[in-house]
Amino acid sequence: MSIVGKNASSAKFRRNRWLLTGLLSLYFIYTFMPLFYVITAATKSNQDLFSTFGLWFAEDFSLWENLATLFTIQDGIFLKWMANTAYYSSVSAVGAALFSTLAGYAFAKYRFFGKKLMFALVLGAVMIPQTALVIPMFLMLSSMGLTNTSLAVILPSLVFPPGVFLMWAYIDDAISNELIEAGRMDGAGEVHIFSSIAFRMLMPGFATVLILAFVASWNNYFLPLVMLNKPDMFPITVGLAQLYSTAISGTGGVLLFTVVMTGALVSIVPVIAAFLIMQRFWQGGLGAGGVKA
Amino acid sequence: MAAIELRNVRKAFGTVEVIGNVNLSIEDGAFVIFVGPSGSGKSTLLRLVAGLEDATAGQILIDGTDVTQLGPAERQLSMVFQSYALYPTKTVRQNMSFGLEVARLPKADIRTRVDAVADILKIGEYLDRKPRALSGGQRQRVAIGRAIVREPVAFLFDEPLSNLDAALRVEMRIEIAKLHQRLGATMIYVTHDQVEAMTLADRIVVLDRGSIQQVGTPMELYQRPANLFVAQFIGSPKMNVLAVRPDGSALVFADGRRADLGVSFPPRLAHVGFRPEEVQLLSIGQGHLQGKVEVVERLGSDTFAHVGLGELGIITARMPGNVLSISPGQPVGLGLSGNQLHQFSRDGSRLS
Repeated sequence: MSIVGKNASSAKFRRNRWLLTGLLSLYFIYTFMPLFYVITAATKSNQDLFSTFGLWFAEDFSLWENLATLFTIQDGIFLKWMANTAYYSSVSAVGAALFSTLAGYAFAKYRFFGKKLMFALVLGAVMIPQTALVIPMFLMLSSMGLTNTSLAVILPSLVFPPGVFLMWAYIDDAISNELIEAGRMDGAGEVHIFSSIAFRMLMPGFATVLILAFVASWNNYFLPLVMLNKPDMFPITVGLAQLYSTAISGTGGVLLFTVVMTGALVSIVPVIAAFLIMQRFWQGGLGAGGVKA
Repeated sequence: MAAIELRNVRKAFGTVEVIGNVNLSIEDGAFVIFVGPSGSGKSTLLRLVAGLEDATAGQILIDGTDVTQLGPAERQLSMVFQSYALYPTKTVRQNMSFGLEVARLPKADIRTRVDAVADILKIGEYLDRKPRALSGGQRQRVAIGRAIVREPVAFLFDEPLSNLDAALRVEMRIEIAKLHQRLGATMIYVTHDQVEAMTLADRIVVLDRGSIQQVGTPMELYQRPANLFVAQFIGSPKMNVLAVRPDGSALVFADGRRADLGVSFPPRLAHVGFRPEEVQLLSIGQGHLQGKVEVVERLGSDTFAHVGLGELGIITARMPGNVLSISPGQPVGLGLSGNQLHQFSRDGSRLS
């Protein structure tokens, strides 16, 4: 951590460093606590869950039992939900990243009629929560007969305005106009220039949008909740919520609380894995943005 | 190889006109340099020829064919960019092959051509490297190589040397001159460096504010500049210019000083110009103007004396070799030659 204009050995620098470290530690505790609760809760039996301290492990370690219940409950529907989530998220993420890259490239590198207005719309769309759009989208997709299909979840997720904005900023910086012009002088068409010159230079940006869209789609709850009503089409978010509502409704479902917790823990593992895998692309690509003189 | 002609070419971005009615013909095999200050429109003019910008009006012809409506590739020109614009994810060989692959040449032909050009430019050993593993000079060679392999009808250079350090710039300048002799191709070269312009060009096109000020050989521009702008833009150090009023065979300067030069001057004369080597440094009291040496610059080969003339400003005098007899603060006389003076009217155009 370096602070511009301060000497690393100065008293002020050390004070600032402690202050920053302290603030960030607080933030870390704040964000990590719920996750830690999920971890401890997933290792407890149902009884211990309510009778022991929430932020520490119980004497009996029940994670394996909980996992076994999770994957066998309702004929192993949790696995089906995981597969659904993985399918919806990966298709949405690849699609959203691709469209964002194409749109960002167009906004960054082409002059066309209505560009300012369209870009303002994209920026505006960043500020509209998807939740607000879900009902109109439901009505639209319903009249197209697409509700209760995977498309109902995937199609709206392909539109990812923050990704367009991110790619616009990234492309504007990473790809010089001269590079595109060099491609034109070499006789390559616009699609060819994009696919064989520009796209490979954009991998770090593409990976960033891919992971953001993946996580957004993985965690999406309201959209699939509205669009889908067959339990075997649910993603994990909706499925777990359903299990949870069964749990609180009382009728012999008390047993399910730890299962919901274990399900929550299992559901975040792939997201963490995706982050770790994609990190390599970020690091590997940041320096490859362009050849500067 | 190609002759290039521009007819009444105009270019406007919105309401701002950057190129106004340019007419120019470039002979086959010529090395033509567009030179001018920033914002003079020299790069825009080159990009119009390249097809990277659409002309607002007028025609561009290559070998008599109207190419105004054609795209960059169809014009069969190659361009070397200021930033080199090498494809960073491709190796040197792939960079050079790209245009030929787009043109669907057989793989074996591409290989032969790239190898041959790599040989000329001495970049054979870098062919498998990525551009980021090359130095500035090497990248510049690759950029030139990429232009050559396509065997274009003409080459366009957009300030190709301005990102190189001074020593490398001189070296590459000589390489480009050799390349022109070897290929005999038409070359259009944009620079703001008038030394590059003087040393490389067969003909120089001086631009200012989107219009051509003068077209000519380097020596024509140096010896007979068409107007004050060209006079002061070409030559380093630049030409000394003083505002005057003619009075028979004498000149009356802005501060009222008078100098009789023994030749007759036209009544429209408003400015006189003289190169640093066209003024003689004399003892105080002699010559046509009296001043005081303010700064002396010694380059070894030349000595420059910057002489203050009070209200008239500072003029520069050049003397060959290291002249030890002058020093700052020394009062001196300046000798002018009436026949050598460049004469300009009030609007800046050349008289006589």
